[in-house]
Amino acid sequence: MLSDLQLRNVRCFAALSVELGPGFTFFIGANGEGKTSILEGACVLLRLQSQRTSSLAPVVKFGEKSFAVSGRWRSHVMEFRYSALRRRIVFDHAEQRNAQEYLRLGRVVSFANTDIELIRGGSEPRRRYLDFLGSQIDATYRPTLRAYERALRSRNALLKSAQPRPRELAAYDQPLVEHGERLGVSRAILAQRIAPIAAAVHREIAGAEESLSLRLARGNERDFRADLANSRSQELRLRQTVVGPHRDDLELLVDGKPAAQFASEGQQRTAALALKLAQARLFENEEGAPPLLLIDDIFGELDPNRRGALLRNLPAKSQKLVTATLLPSRDIADARVFELRDRQIYRA
Amino acid sequence: MRKTEYPEPIRQLIAQLRQMPGVGPRSAERIALWIIRSRNDHPEQITNAITAARQAVRPCARCGFFATEELCDICADATRAADQLCVVEQATDILPLEKTSAFRGHYHSLGGRISPLDHVAPEDLRIKELIARVEAEKFSEVIFALAADVEGEATTNYLVELLKPTGVTLSRIAHGLPAGGGLESADELTLYQALSGRRQL
Repeated sequence: MLSDLQLRNVRCFAALSVELGPGFTFFIGANGEGKTSILEGACVLLRLQSQRTSSLAPVVKFGEKSFAVSGRWRSHVMEFRYSALRRRIVFDHAEQRNAQEYLRLGRVVSFANTDIELIRGGSEPRRRYLDFLGSQIDATYRPTLRAYERALRSRNALLKSAQPRPRELAAYDQPLVEHGERLGVSRAILAQRIAPIAAAVHREIAGAEESLSLRLARGNERDFRADLANSRSQELRLRQTVVGPHRDDLELLVDGKPAAQFASEGQQRTAALALKLAQARLFENEEGAPPLLLIDDIFGELDPNRRGALLRNLPAKSQKLVTATLLPSRDIADARVFELRDRQIYRA
Repeated sequence: MRKTEYPEPIRQLIAQLRQMPGVGPRSAERIALWIIRSRNDHPEQITNAITAARQAVRPCARCGFFATEELCDICADATRAADQLCVVEQATDILPLEKTSAFRGHYHSLGGRISPLDHVAPEDLRIKELIARVEAEKFSEVIFALAADVEGEATTNYLVELLKPTGVTLSRIAHGLPAGGGLESADELTLYQALSGRRQL
């Protein structure tokens, strides 16, 4: 568990230090008091990425150049400092050359009311869902994703130039295909592993009369290299790479029908919740420490049935950091509660 | 009230020193004060060494390594194997390879790698010179020792395609486990590369 957390120049906080409980820790306060930023600090500390944004630049407090997060996870001291020029990862007082060892320690599942975008939004949030999961299960996932994205951006830069030169494009085909094939295979395996868990969790929340199924729709044909070669005239016309894992999508069906078009608002919320709970359960089944759960402002959005289902299905052994505008009454015992007022934190 | 500062010449000196790589404001100040207060002529010796080095050193006309003559020591050395060429990104990559003593052939520094995101195109690199050398110098093997990242891979691919028609044997250095390291200490990606680049026995 994360026993304490310190933030410096994170979002609205110049400095903040908080000791967290082993079960539920609540952060109660009005909108704009920085509740979500505390959860974000915990996420950045354990995963070196924010659950909110894909870049860390907006996490830096306005007018400052860098931020730092630190804390004690189980028996280890973790610390991460970020500035535009430099990232520093410190684990048990030793600076790390790369993030691989560090990222092996803690795992995170984040619940937020924007999760509905997983069902309703474009394919990007669904790829991010898989990437967030994949990088916490497989240590090669993140470097592979990074390499693929770099090859893709390089190739797209060539396609956007005034006269794209075939030989230069071809030189980038190989890294694109090599990293892309591995990324595609990893995502397909992830989707296969999460699908039955998501279906089971969904049954527990929604009852047996509704079913959730999912599978990965690949952004390229099985033979990526051939698919890429076949798309050459189209990519020259559109000036971007048109096939590949950057076009992957997670297909979600409720009762056999695409969830985005045919599910009701309530069904969509249930499906989104099931996807996130499935992540938590998958980590729980894996060896290693139970995940840290970040639950951001969703109790208010959920009706009593779903809220009960959420509480029943959260991994019992996991530590939970929860934000809310009001303390959710009685249904939670042994909660540690903090109040946020005027950028100050008070133990209630 | 105006804050007291060092006189203008010292401030100038600090500002100049700060242009050097790895020198921050504190170090620049310490170096500047040492220069000014030095009782011997060490600072002048440094000035002379800078001038001498800048006048004497230039890139080798053939391989791009540091040289004082037309050709560098490596290119001028007649005892080296004339049939092997090792292609590197930067002139500074040559010395680490030399320290291994595993390679006795010649080098060619490209002066960078193809990187569209950094606006480096093939014509910004010493690629024409490489092709001219491969055609003229009759190597039996060209070895690529570029970085094992996306740009390094892409640049190697680009050069391989260019050099294939010459018929010369092309190879690249292996990627994998660090020497003396057990499997448990290697990260997953390195292990993955070591496995996929395995060698038949």
